[in-house]
Amino acid sequence: MTMPTLQRTSFTVLLATGLAAPLAANFSVPAFAADPAVTTDIGTLDQETAEKAFPARPPYSPYAGRNFPTRPFFGDTHLHTSFSMDAGAFGARLGPRDAYRFAKGEEVIASSGQHAKLSRPLDFLVVTDHSDGMGFFPQLMSADPALLATPQGRKWYDEINSGKGAVAAVDIITSFGKGQLPKGFPTPGTPAYRSAWRETIKAAEEANDPGRFTAFIGYEWTSNAGGNNLHRNVIWRDNGAKASLIEPFTTQPPLGSPNPRDLWKWMAMCEEKTGAEILALAHNGNLSNGRMFPIVESFTGKRIDREYAENRTRWEPLYEATQIKGDGETHPFLSPNDEFANFERWDKGNLDLTELKKPEMLEFEYARSALKNGLKMEAELGVNPYKFGLVGSTDAHTGLAAVEEDNFFGKTSSSEPSPERATHPFVKTDKAVIMGWEQTASGYAAVWATENTREAIFDAMKRRETYATTGPRMIVRFFGGWDFEASDANNRMPAKIGYTKGVPMGGDLSNAPNGKSPSFLVAALKDPIGANLDRIQVIKGWLGKDGQTQERIYDVAVSGDRKIDADGRSKTPVGNTVDIPNATWTNTIGAGEMITVWKDPDFDPALRAFYYVRVIEIPTPRWTAYDAKYFGVTMPKEAPMTTTERAYTSPIWYTP
Amino acid sequence: MRFALLREPLFQFLVLGGALFGLFHLVDGRKAERPARIVISSARIANLADGFARTWQRPPGTEELQGLVDDYIRDEVFYREGRAAGLDRDDVIIRRRVRQKMEFSAEDATVPEPSEAQLAAYLEANPERFKSEDHFTFRQIFLSATRRATTIDGDSKRVANALTGADAAIDATALGDAFLLGEEFQAVSPQEVASVFGDGFAKRISVMEPGRWQGPVPSSFGQHFVYISERIPGGVPPLDAVRQAVRREWSNARRLEAEQKLYASLRERYEIVVEMPPARSAQIDGAAQIDRSTQIQTSR
Repeated sequence: MTMPTLQRTSFTVLLATGLAAPLAANFSVPAFAADPAVTTDIGTLDQETAEKAFPARPPYSPYAGRNFPTRPFFGDTHLHTSFSMDAGAFGARLGPRDAYRFAKGEEVIASSGQHAKLSRPLDFLVVTDHSDGMGFFPQLMSADPALLATPQGRKWYDEINSGKGAVAAVDIITSFGKGQLPKGFPTPGTPAYRSAWRETIKAAEEANDPGRFTAFIGYEWTSNAGGNNLHRNVIWRDNGAKASLIEPFTTQPPLGSPNPRDLWKWMAMCEEKTGAEILALAHNGNLSNGRMFPIVESFTGKRIDREYAENRTRWEPLYEATQIKGDGETHPFLSPNDEFANFERWDKGNLDLTELKKPEMLEFEYARSALKNGLKMEAELGVNPYKFGLVGSTDAHTGLAAVEEDNFFGKTSSSEPSPERATHPFVKTDKAVIMGWEQTASGYAAVWATENTREAIFDAMKRRETYATTGPRMIVRFFGGWDFEASDANNRMPAKIGYTKGVPMGGDLSNAPNGKSPSFLVAALKDPIGANLDRIQVIKGWLGKDGQTQERIYDVAVSGDRKIDADGRSKTPVGNTVDIPNATWTNTIGAGEMITVWKDPDFDPALRAFYYVRVIEIPTPRWTAYDAKYFGVTMPKEAPMTTTERAYTSPIWYTP
Repeated sequence: MRFALLREPLFQFLVLGGALFGLFHLVDGRKAERPARIVISSARIANLADGFARTWQRPPGTEELQGLVDDYIRDEVFYREGRAAGLDRDDVIIRRRVRQKMEFSAEDATVPEPSEAQLAAYLEANPERFKSEDHFTFRQIFLSATRRATTIDGDSKRVANALTGADAAIDATALGDAFLLGEEFQAVSPQEVASVFGDGFAKRISVMEPGRWQGPVPSSFGQHFVYISERIPGGVPPLDAVRQAVRREWSNARRLEAEQKLYASLRERYEIVVEMPPARSAQIDGAAQIDRSTQIQTSR
């Protein structure tokens, strides 16, 4: 499919539906929508069939026969509850039901006994408890005889009940990492496991409220070979009837495997046997020590092949680029000319700090370098394994998707608000330490879906029409095409012009018209209760003629009267209004909204490229500043007290 | 110190050794008797295979099945011997588990399909749970604080004048700025309005009368003039619109009721004598705490 076809398709839709209807799309949400099964459309199945047959072909127009998305839905694709064994060990007592209630904006009592409530509800949530040992903790705490009959189980139980939960937690996690788990540990097929999975599904089914709140069914496949993070979250498009036909894939042999190739096999089998539709998204490449986006597979030592590339791109349309365990967009070592690259870095080692980081690992860990290497692999294999869109999520292990800087409930229940949480080590081994203050209050997933239902949000994820935020709910639009003109930035219907003339974030461009460079409509609106915006940037990556990948940053809109220089950069910082002792800031700098049309000044139609948008907020107090103020404590000198929140969109790819 | 000792391998070895010795002694005493039988029925094997198949969507192979059976036998042997040795008695853990199973059994008892009348009655008795908010359809004229940093107040007054007496058909294009999410919002709830414009804005327009331009309403983006063309009143929807939610809530209520009934009926069989010791506040505190955690556990 070529670009002109895409344009024509979306245009036809607009003509057919008229003007008011598309605008209404998201907002004409009926108070009580129909049963999700009724809203099923078979478009995505067609898409998959098509992708299998023609992998290089751009996604089919998702707008045929329906309206385009008019507002993004914000949610968390990655939240643990007490059903995750490590969460439970760290003191989480909230289960999936509580997690969904909290995400819907209700007040709950956190595991630490504090009242917790979001500033405003989220639109969707996926509870993703670890598939290995799912329900282990409730099972242990309800004193399951099989488990308690083992010395390990008994020991943990007694430790937790005598207030030594942290000792037990470390032991549980270490034992899991070494594959030394007690008999009776829940594995698929055991009653405890089945009951945990059933409860997970039930909680999602009850919380799901089409049109108002989407509760997805999902789990996390936590491959941790050698302490290196290869985790993936798996999400169902379907309801509980299909999800309960199968039990999650684990990483412990013989039932499971730590190799992503086996996860993909399981996913294929799951779709084929149960008729469900599922997708997976990875996270925390920054803790994988060079294994998340490999060119050489760690399991075989061989270069990845076409089969790997096809499967990865088929099953993993998204990557979680920012979360509490650090930001994963890029790293100063990889992007030395990017002054915003040094952001919430977790680069001391792998997940359990048993192996230190070496600089040569970084290239295979971060989203931007992976997108670049994807172009290289595509030239080699004919398929881009790393053609993913971006989202953020929390990975909180508290049942609380709470990552606002002034409302941050931490990674684990032991790091819920307290005077000590910032100064306690978060991970500590003989090799390195990560301190509590290094936790990042980040992030959420924004999805441009046509309505707030499982089907619509899942489909938008599949077509990568998503962006990551580090917590604030700024609105970001990004369209690419060949015909955007400067005047389009003044159009009263930015979305309409965007979908008419181009493809949205996550889309593809090809067949460059003679002599034309791609142009992009880029817009951002600040969070209605958040900080102003500093700038919008377009980040371009491409594969040079010499086979080497390149990247370049363009400032395309900046606030105030700052100028963008001939090199496409504005080196003047926006300023800083943060009052650290009082943990406040003012919106006297920055802009509430920005929109522009940007044309690539350096386009070569012969070269593969991608473009994505990064929106930067003005500096605001970091959660450590709110903690210092509230608890009256002094933070360590090295703890940052301000942050610059941001959003990363899915790329738009150009393929010659 | 005490815990350090517990971690000593020698100590663990001794404790474990002692326990095993005791166990062997018990087991030994019954050696002379005829061996008891453990029958692994074909139904049980099918059950084990079922569990395997649930993960892999294929039946286990011969060896895999043998492994499952062996493990089950091992379970059974230890379980029987442990019970024979009285290891299940006075074990708080086993008590709790058995209690939980009783509670689950009440929960699992198949709740019958509710009748139409039952659902209707439930909806009528609990309208608050199913009530919907008012929804609005409105257009806006947006004055951007970013674009009109210094002129916004004057511009706002001019727009207000222009709108006096104007109806919805007025060409808003000439008056305001483009808003990234558009000018018209159809059938949105106050919560949706708040998610786009902020809480204050949503509260203001929730109480506005339809049919005329009103404003300015401030938001963190600037100022807005609003024309509400329709207010769709919320309220208790008809049963057809909320049938699934009502059924879910009804079943849940029935489940809780069943559990309570079961407990009440069982408790009736007992005469309960509580020999309360003289109050010792520390103990009662402790008890309350344990109680809380138990409750949290079982509520799952």
